[in-house]
Amino acid sequence: MASNIKYPEDKVLYFIRGDHLGLITTYSSTNESRTDRKAYQAFDHSVTNGLLLHYYGNPSKVTAITNTPDIDNLFHSAIVDYVKKCLYMDKAGTESDAGMAQIALSLMMQHEKKFDQAVKKYGTKKRSKTGGTRAVVPNSFT
Amino acid sequence: MAIQSLTVKQIISRVRQVFPNAPETYIMSLINDALNELGQYSQKSMSAKINIVANQMFYDLSDSATDSSSNVMGINKVYRVDVMDDDDDYIRVPRVLDGEPLMFDNTSESAIEEPS
Repeated sequence: MASNIKYPEDKVLYFIRGDHLGLITTYSSTNESRTDRKAYQAFDHSVTNGLLLHYYGNPSKVTAITNTPDIDNLFHSAIVDYVKKCLYMDKAGTESDAGMAQIALSLMMQHEKKFDQAVKKYGTKKRSKTGGTRAVVPNSFT
Repeated sequence: MAIQSLTVKQIISRVRQVFPNAPETYIMSLINDALNELGQYSQKSMSAKINIVANQMFYDLSDSATDSSSNVMGINKVYRVDVMDDDDDYIRVPRVLDGEPLMFDNTSESAIEEPS
C-alpha cells in the first residue's frame, strides 16, 4: 500500500527509545480533528516499504577460514592484535610461573595498546574517505 | 587492482606464529569478538526498508530486527530516517530530541515489553 502523506518532512517525526524506533505523525487519513495534546499519533495506514532507515551496521561474523572479515582492510591487522591480546590474557591467567605470567601480561598490554590506537585513536582518520577540494554553495535568495 | 586484505586463515596463521596450539574455533570466536568491537567504531553504512504498519508506533531495532525482506539488519546506530511520500519518493523526516510526545498511542504499543 502506498503512502497518503504528501509532505512527510512536515507531518512525520521519529525518535529512538532503547531498541525501538518511534514513528509519529500529525497526518490523519480521515481528516480527524485532533487537539494539540493528541496531535502526534502512530500512522493510521500501512505503507509497504514505507520506512527507509540509514544506519551503521554490525559487520557480518566469520564462519569459515576462507572468509574475509567484513570490515575495511585497514582494520584487518588490528584483528590480529585483538586475538593475540586475548590469548596473552588467557596465558597470563593460566601460567603457574609468575615471571612468565608477567611477560604474557606485558605483551597483552602491548597488543591492546596497538588495537586501541588502530581503532580508537587513529580510527577516524583511517575510516574517513572524505577528500577533494571543498566548495561552498550559498543559498539562492531569489 | 589488488588490495591487501587478510582472510581468517591468514589471521590464524599469524596468531599461530606465537600460539601454535591455539584452537581454530577459539580463534574464530575471538575474531568475531573483534568484529563486534570494531563494529562500534567502523562506519559500515547500510540502508533497509521496513513496512509501516497501521496503528503501530514502535519499530524494532534490536540485533534480530529484520527488514521488509526478512533480512536481519544488525543496526548499531540509526543516523537518518526517510518516509515514503504519496509519490513513492523517500523524504527525510526530523528526529524529535526528547522523544516524548504527550500522548502515547496505547493501541500501538505492541513492541513495548510488559511485565509478565
